[in-house]
Amino acid sequence: MTKILFADKLDSCVERWRSAGMTVIGPVQRTNSSMYDAVKSASELDLNLVLADRSIKELFFPQSEPMLRYNITKSEINTSEFLPPSGPRIIFGARACDASGLAIDDPLFGWDYKDEYWFQRRNESVIVTIACTKADEFCMCTSLKLAPDSTKGSDILLRPLENNKGWQVEELTDRGREAFKKVADLLQEGSDPAAATVSVPEKFDADACAEWLKNPENFNSHFWKEISLRCIGCGSCTYLCPTCHCFDIQDEGGSFEGIRRKNWDSCSFALFTMHTSGHNPRSTQSARWRQRIMHKFNYFPGKFSANSCSGCGRCTRECPVDMGITETLQEISKLSQ
Amino acid sequence: MTENNSNAAQNIYKPAIMKIVNRHDEAPGVRTLRLEFQDPLDHELFKATYRTGMFGLYGVYGEGESTFCVASPETRNEYIECTFRESGRVTSALARADIGDLVTFRGPYGNRFPLEEFYGKNLLFIAGGIALPPTRSVIWSCLDQREKFGKVTIVYGARTVADLVYKHELEEWMQRDDVELVLAVDPGGESPDWKHRVGFVPTVLEEAAPSAENCVAILCGPPIMIKFTLISLKKLGFEESNVYTTLENRMKCGLGKCGRCNVGSIYVCKEGPVFTAAEVSRMPAADL
Repeated sequence: MTKILFADKLDSCVERWRSAGMTVIGPVQRTNSSMYDAVKSASELDLNLVLADRSIKELFFPQSEPMLRYNITKSEINTSEFLPPSGPRIIFGARACDASGLAIDDPLFGWDYKDEYWFQRRNESVIVTIACTKADEFCMCTSLKLAPDSTKGSDILLRPLENNKGWQVEELTDRGREAFKKVADLLQEGSDPAAATVSVPEKFDADACAEWLKNPENFNSHFWKEISLRCIGCGSCTYLCPTCHCFDIQDEGGSFEGIRRKNWDSCSFALFTMHTSGHNPRSTQSARWRQRIMHKFNYFPGKFSANSCSGCGRCTRECPVDMGITETLQEISKLSQ
Repeated sequence: MTENNSNAAQNIYKPAIMKIVNRHDEAPGVRTLRLEFQDPLDHELFKATYRTGMFGLYGVYGEGESTFCVASPETRNEYIECTFRESGRVTSALARADIGDLVTFRGPYGNRFPLEEFYGKNLLFIAGGIALPPTRSVIWSCLDQREKFGKVTIVYGARTVADLVYKHELEEWMQRDDVELVLAVDPGGESPDWKHRVGFVPTVLEEAAPSAENCVAILCGPPIMIKFTLISLKKLGFEESNVYTTLENRMKCGLGKCGRCNVGSIYVCKEGPVFTAAEVSRMPAADL
């Protein structure tokens, strides 16, 4: 017997969490794209999506985040801080790749200096992941040693029932248990079998790629130029990526008052590394693509013992010129044979 | 979004407020500002953490923040001095600021020159143009505890006589009998009354020929100068592990998060900005 949340009880759960003061967030279809967003009832959720177009990242690291408001008089600078919205949130229907992405970035936002904008949201969010029973041709979690039912970064894992009537509930963390205590009477004990998770074929050999990337000789390989020739440097892949964390800090306003913001930035952009002198360490698109791959699969694992990729496949799925990490790592896998 | 005046959780992106207490024009477009902390707590934190070599993000609200070194030595931590060339949005705003105006500082960040390891050794400082400020921080940190070090030699070159920065301090070093100062300007950059060397830094260095014996070299300058000076140092017998330099890359956070200052796997903001030439030569040159 396992705990089961039947789909017809989900709306009551949403109501219960909301009346307990939690913001309920989940995958929804919006005009231009699907994304994780706040909902008032379960009927708004679109749990049939393979994966929302936009990653879960923006709930923790928004595209543009006000940090400080400044107000300057002749003799004083007054600043007030923006802190992330406080209050508990439950994200219902995350995918394992998105949840893993958050856990991957935790050490980055925490090493030495702790980014409270990230951690306050992390500490107040319960992540309920639904194991995938379908995937598309771009999904590649298994190539990154993750799986459609990985628990990394999740507080609760739900396994869809074979009969499609609900989910088996696996409580993974205290935070998850706490949230599900609030709906304990809406859960049932049952023996309904869970549906098999989708089988996602491995697309590349991550270990072999890591070895190839570590070899200093390959830094200057012609490969980088060839593989990135059609990159237009639009940055979509970095914005959609659940683990890409690069940002810019910009002031919006005038000399007397305004707001300092942290905005998403992208290693695909030429200005990203441009010095004031005009010198640019990564002045070509191929150098920038190399940086992206090296960062994700060589530098980041060297520092934080995990690839900065959870295999969601959005970079490839949405790339306007049909490039992406998959193709590059497949080619590297071939080169390293 | 909630807006809050209290400091409940420490906001790592919030800079300290600094008052400009002095400013000095060093060379055309190059200015030094002396800044004092307005909040004693910020000052205490700075005094507890600042060591020569570290950098900061200097800012003007409405314009943004720019990364450069702390040009004042760790032995004089009652204030911060920064020297910059007016070249972008932030440096232009800093250049417009007057004595008494308030600006911001975030830091000190990064690693430092390991001064204890230099105790008892001869020091050779080599700087080019606007790169004297980071070197000057180390020079004064050493001169302020002169007895701990051996012979001190400074080789400094700029394009023209006008481009030499800290002219008053160069004068002071020139007068001291415990410092050997070699000054140079690039060919064509000399004025009629120029009494010092004419030539590029690597050439002038080779002519001065300081001994590599028990000596540490501290080298800061534009990439092209570094490249050729390293060759000269090698000729003079310096091991790469005894040559220190600083790297400067574009930064936004200074905290290892914004993702742009890395050279290969090395984050300049956290693992640098101070590196030995041996460390730099292990980095992928194409990423520098």
